[in-house]
Formats: sequence, structure tokens, C-alpha cells
Amino acid sequence: MSTSVTETAAASSPRVVVVGAGPAGMATTIALAERGLSVTVVDQNPRPGGQIYRFPAVASITPGQPDRGGTLRQHLGEHSERITYLSEHSVVGIYPERRLGLCGPDGFRILDADQLVLAPGAYEYVPPFPGWTLPGVMTPGAAQQLVKSQGVAPGRRVLLAGTGPFLLVVALALHEMSVQVVGIVDTLRRRDAFWKLPSLLADGKLLKQGLDYVAGVRKAGIPLMTGHIVTRAEGHGRLEQVVVAPCDADWVPDHDRSRPIIADTLCVGYGFVPRLGLAQLAGCELTPTNLPGGWIPVTDSWGQTSVPGVWTAGDGAGVAGAIVAELAGQLVGLGVASSCGAIEAADAERSAEPIRERLHQLSRFRRGLDSLGSPRPGLSQLADESTVVCRCEEIRRGEVDAAISSGSTTLRSLKVATRLGMGPCQGRMCQPACARRLFDLGVNTLEDAGPPTFRPPLVPVTLGELSGLTGPDDSIPPDQVPVEPELAEGAREADTTP
Amino acid sequence: MPTSTIRSETLKFEFQGRQFLARPGQSVAAALWAARETVLRTTAVDAAPRGFFCGMGVCFDCLVTIDGRPNCRACQIPVTDGMVVTRQQGTGTPTSGGKP
Repeated sequence: MSTSVTETAAASSPRVVVVGAGPAGMATTIALAERGLSVTVVDQNPRPGGQIYRFPAVASITPGQPDRGGTLRQHLGEHSERITYLSEHSVVGIYPERRLGLCGPDGFRILDADQLVLAPGAYEYVPPFPGWTLPGVMTPGAAQQLVKSQGVAPGRRVLLAGTGPFLLVVALALHEMSVQVVGIVDTLRRRDAFWKLPSLLADGKLLKQGLDYVAGVRKAGIPLMTGHIVTRAEGHGRLEQVVVAPCDADWVPDHDRSRPIIADTLCVGYGFVPRLGLAQLAGCELTPTNLPGGWIPVTDSWGQTSVPGVWTAGDGAGVAGAIVAELAGQLVGLGVASSCGAIEAADAERSAEPIRERLHQLSRFRRGLDSLGSPRPGLSQLADESTVVCRCEEIRRGEVDAAISSGSTTLRSLKVATRLGMGPCQGRMCQPACARRLFDLGVNTLEDAGPPTFRPPLVPVTLGELSGLTGPDDSIPPDQVPVEPELAEGAREADTTP
Repeated sequence: MPTSTIRSETLKFEFQGRQFLARPGQSVAAALWAARETVLRTTAVDAAPRGFFCGMGVCFDCLVTIDGRPNCRACQIPVTDGMVVTRQQGTGTPTSGGKP
């Protein structure tokens, strides 16, 4: 990095804000800082890492080795003089001219950005099925978090269900912590995978990783039930057993061949939904896809959205996993640095070339994986009339189907007719599955069913917090980037304390 | 309740009037889960039990009342020493309970 470039960037001092410190947000921030730009990072968690590279909350747990998240955290730490890190801050609103409303430990504050990078990540897709609200039913990600970050076993007999390689990852994490995993139920049938082999072979390394997970699960003696689906969860006050049935290529269960499995914990997830709230509040144009969640922001080849100066990278821009997220973050970093004049456009192009090549290669693998895992119609038929589909407002499938029969064809009209999605989660849990239901019933296309509609505040805020508003001119105290080595040292100290 | 070595950095907190222990950094939900307290709230319409679902602050299922303040996401809030947590019923009511 030449001094002149650094000085040019400093002279105009663009206010660059990155929201989210998972692999995409960290990679963007590092790419920007490396090119001499100052960056403010806003993240909900105490430490950078996002969900996938979450830093253990409990000090005596050491992060897994080798941990890519640790490397990224270390790079962030190396640039700490250029990074203002706002941990435990949530974005509650985005207003015109890239003005952010933040809520953090010190209350509500406004932050203005010339360049705004959204890297919000994704959450798990769990369509409703009977019994899914019982305590003991959780997402695989929640179980992984409990064991790997909190040092707590999610239960004594754990069943994993859904689709995709993440189930295997979580099963192995639980097994390593001596939690009994009674099985993995995957809708995917082995013969379906065969047809996707050519595209999966597009990335030998990732395919091998997947096969290693399968081998690990076999070695651990965990039963792998392919071509099966969970049809209901049962118990009094908490989960006691799970009913599983074989399913066809459309994931329609054969109830006559169903059987119960005793378990106190069911970890269920059918892929991931991009977190769209921020992009939607920023006014970014969205486009429908056939993946869980249905919608992603429209971007150019750098990751800039339809709103000038608003960029997006990572799973929030379309779920593709941590490796892709990191590369996409680097690309956004180059794009932002180039539009700020911190680097020449030609330099950005040159640096982007190998990143784009790798992304292209990975996208073939991803398409293979996506087509295997994308939700099939059987999934939206699991709920019965009395199943709660909106967990917040306790709206039942029967009420939703009645509204559909009376003419509701969009998420918006379902919301008006039933209160679906009007609770504190703002429809994050129920709306993707309801859009899919409208589609599977032949009532509407995913496109016309509409994207979910987020409104500020994205997370609930009290009036007291809002009234303690601090303005954009108030200086933000420069927080230290919470880097790895310091913490690791602290962790050791804590452990040796008698 | 875990009765293993109580180290100096173990935190004490209250849930439904009973004492529980947590490790520093542990979330309210994780500390309760470790003690097999899996009903974190009951719902407004059905009074149905709810637990720990997404673990990342998205689903708002694990809402509890902490030091008198309702609608706190148990999965997002670390335990502090002396914290008073109650199982939230329905939409929750602010109370003056909590730390003196």
C-alpha cells in the first residue's frame, strides 16, 4: 500500500459502514482497511465472527482448530487503528441518504454512511409441522451454538432432521461433546445425489469435505436416514418423541410407514433464508429465487445494490456459505474502495479477476447443492389445520388456508387478513413458508406472493431507548476491535484461576 | 442444578424464585437449558410452553422477563450476577421486581 493512496483516501475521508461481522463483513472490512480506508463496523454480537465463526461465549471453551474465523479476527485486529467497532449494536432502521438508526448498550444513536455495506447473513428455514413449537425442538444452528459457544448440551437424545450438509456438521459437533445423536433424517434420497454429481464435482475440495462429514458420521455410528422426513413432534410440555416417515422425491411422506423415535431434542432445518430486512429498509430492489426465503437483493458484479452507495455480500445477498461470503466480501471491498477513489478502477478490476474466477467455480457446486436441497411441495403439506404457523401471533394453518380461500393471494393480504407476521419476529419465521404455501397451492407465483415486508424498528426498542437518542454529530468512542490473542490469553487466565 | 466445583467466577441468578448458576458469558437461555429448564415462556393465546428455538435472536420465542423488564430474548442476554429472571406469561407485564 503506497502512502499516496492512503493520503488520498484520508483526504476525502468517506464514511464507510459495514453492518455484520460474519465472514462477508469481516472480509469487506479487511479489504477496505488494507486499502487505507477507515471503516465503522456494526455487529449484534460481542465479538466478530457471525454465526458460523461465533466466538465462544464461555471463556473455557477454545475455538475449534483450524478456525478460519480466528484468522479473519486476527486480520481485523491488525487494522484496528482504521476500524471503529460497534459490538452489541443492532440496526433498527435505515433512512434516506444511508442514515442508520442503531440500538446498542448505550441506547439509540444515528450513524451516517457515504458507503454502506450490508452483510446480515442468514437464518434457518423451518416450515411448520405439528409439534414444532414444543420446547426441545430447535434449529441445528441453535444446537451448535449451545455446544460450541455456551458449553451446554441441547439434550440427552438428539435427532437431527431436514436437508443439507449442515446437519452432518452439527451431528459431529454434538458427538464430539459426547451428546447422544440418535439419528440424522434427510429428505434427500441417495439416488437423487447421483444425478447432481457432475456439478458437485466442479469443486473437488468441497465435495471431499462433504464426503468426509458422511464418513465421520458413519464412524461415529450415527444412523443416517436418507429419503425420510419428520412429520410431527410430540410431547407433554416438551418434546418426547419424533415421528419420521419415508418420503418420495417431492418430499411427500408415506404416513403408513411412519415410526416414532424417542428424543428429547429435535434439531430441524431445511436450508437458510437470507436476512432481507436491512436491504429492504434501504430500499434495495429485490428479485425472487426458488431457494428458501425466495428473495435476494439485486446487485451488480461488485455487489452494489440498486441503491447507489449501498452494497451487500454474504448469505444475506443469497445463501452460498462462508467461503463464498468471504470472497464476495473481498469483491465488495474492492468495489467500495474503487468508488471512494482509494484505488484505481483498473487495479480493482485486476484484483477482482481471480476472486470472480473462484466464485464462478464455486457457483457450479452451489447450484448442484441448491437444486438438491431446494424445498419440495411435500414440505408445505406437513402442517395440519390446527398447527400454529405464525409462532408469534399463534395463527393456525386453518386460518391461513381460510384466508387464502377467501381471496388472499399475497403475504401482504394474509397479514391484513390474519395478523400473520405481525409479531416481534416480523414474519421472519412464518412468511417464507407461507409464500411457499401460496405457491404450492397454485394460488400465486413466488414473485407475486411478494417479499416479506419489514418495518423499523427491525428489533423491538423501548420508547425510553428512543428518547435517549444521540445525534450523528456526537462522536462515537473508538472501541477496540476484540481480537483473538488478547481473548485467548484472558481465557487461559480464567481457566487457571483456582 | 449443577453442584460441581463452584468457582469464584460462577454467577448466581434467580429463575422462578429458585437459585441457578451460570458461567460468565453464558446466555440466560443456555444457563437455564443446562439446568433442564426448557419452558422459558407461555404464549398469550394458548398458554403453550415455548423454549429455545433459533438461538440467534431472530425468532423471539425465548422471551423472558429480566429484572422486571418483559420481552427480553434469553438467547441474546448474558447472565449477570444477581439477575432475576421470570418465565414470561403472554405478552408480559413490566414489574418493579428485580434488583434492589
